[in-house]
Amino acid sequence: MRVLFPGVIFTIYAFIAAPLIVVIVVSFNSGNVASLPIEGFSLRWYANALETRAFVRALGTSLWLAITATMIAMPIALAAAVAIAQGDFRGRAAMETFFMTPLLVPGLVIGIALLVSFSALQVRDAPLRLLAGHVLIALPYCIRTILASLTRMDRALIEGAQTLGADDFTAFRLITLPLAAPGIIAGTSFAFLQSFGDVPISLFLIDARNATLPITIMSYLEYSVDPTVAAMSSMITIASFAVALVIERLVGLRRALG
Amino acid sequence: MRRSSSLARPMLLAPGGLLLLVLLLAPMMVLLSYSFAPGGSMRPDFSAGLTFENYISVLGDPFYLAVIGRTMLISLIVTAASLLLGWPLAYFLWRAPARWRTLLTLAVVAPLLISIPVRNYGWMVLLGDQGLINGLLVGASLVEQPLRLMYTNFATVIGLTHVLMPFVVLSVVAALERVPPELLSAAETLGASRLRAILEIALPLSLPGAIGGAALVFCVAVSAYVTPALMGPSGANYATTLIYQQFISTLNWPRGATIAVVLLIITAATLIGLLGFINKRFSRALRGS
Repeated sequence: MRVLFPGVIFTIYAFIAAPLIVVIVVSFNSGNVASLPIEGFSLRWYANALETRAFVRALGTSLWLAITATMIAMPIALAAAVAIAQGDFRGRAAMETFFMTPLLVPGLVIGIALLVSFSALQVRDAPLRLLAGHVLIALPYCIRTILASLTRMDRALIEGAQTLGADDFTAFRLITLPLAAPGIIAGTSFAFLQSFGDVPISLFLIDARNATLPITIMSYLEYSVDPTVAAMSSMITIASFAVALVIERLVGLRRALG
Repeated sequence: MRRSSSLARPMLLAPGGLLLLVLLLAPMMVLLSYSFAPGGSMRPDFSAGLTFENYISVLGDPFYLAVIGRTMLISLIVTAASLLLGWPLAYFLWRAPARWRTLLTLAVVAPLLISIPVRNYGWMVLLGDQGLINGLLVGASLVEQPLRLMYTNFATVIGLTHVLMPFVVLSVVAALERVPPELLSAAETLGASRLRAILEIALPLSLPGAIGGAALVFCVAVSAYVTPALMGPSGANYATTLIYQQFISTLNWPRGATIAVVLLIITAATLIGLLGFINKRFSRALRGS
């Protein structure tokens, strides 16, 4: 037990980390295939990734999509979270669950439901279709993370401000908003990453000219073995970890994940 | 002022509610209606009236049933593997010294934020014919030919377990945190071995969390698309890749919608059943803490 248990735990950590580390290692391979052991150290696959037009274009699409969708979802989420957190009305839990439904329905089902509906309505503009899907991705993550920071708020603060003559908006601006700020920033980061990384919803809403980065990576993986994808993936991994650290600092990653 | 805040609440909830209504609930209803439309095309003819023909052909076709059955089986194995790996890890995190706990937890949870194709890609490098694992096996003369590990159901199991296991860790840790650590030391003081203390105290008290985590993993695994598509056998091998095929290649939208509805019913029944079981069986224990 004394020796076995640490060994088991170490193996499980290795299982979690190995695939992520392997990608970073092979991204620096000077050879032509993404496999171990690497032949030598080189940054050429990073240069190649940033020169591959499909990747650059997809990166642009994904960044635009994630930023725009999060910016649309955030104010809507803030309003809903404030109403849920400050209301002591019955059915508050039901309200919270209702706003989490985009997380309860499998992404693929959301994707085909939107595909079927958009084509019935003859909405053919891919950026618009994608944006609709991604606002739906961002909304629950924003609401949940803001709620995580608001539920720690003492309601007496608001009542105090109102007793002292503040109207609803002033109380919101001076008390609720500063308290919700960490949740807003963490929620924005979280929603951004979820939107940026999505495949199953986007899959049914893209067209040939508007593919997102994860989908481009997936299709590249089907026919190519060179380390270009490894370079692209490593950049995504490092950036995601950085955002994870920010969320951890602001509200705690576990709270944000529900 | 009282009046203004009672008016304000519905107004604050309206934009989000409307968004969900228009972009989620209504499209789901449209999808549901497609499953009752005459099959065979992208633009079903609703004027002929609604029909059960898609359900009859999906649930009566051995091929579709085999795909759905395989999906369930793989998801069950992934759930079991996630519990097997996730529970010890959760226990370890619960007992870890406070100053290390945050970092050790972060290492488990942070990968959840990385896009799934990126997380699967590492396994493609490790499990491929020229990959590290086959290299070691051939190098050690354990096998003569590289084993076919990638593009198999085994690869799907590995990839999905890697993606989903952190959810078990999260929910078991949450359950264990309600257990006072003194309970374990008390049992040991009274003469129980560490293993017995774990099996008879920590394990039963963590069960609601473990079942909740397992239900989540099962449902997400059943409806996972990326990992079976990237790592599994080619073709319509998994329920989701079958749905993708119906929508994108075969263009039989009513049939694709039907398979999706069947899948949704299975996952919903699993969730409601298991969560109901937890509530009923453990409600007293949960309330007591």
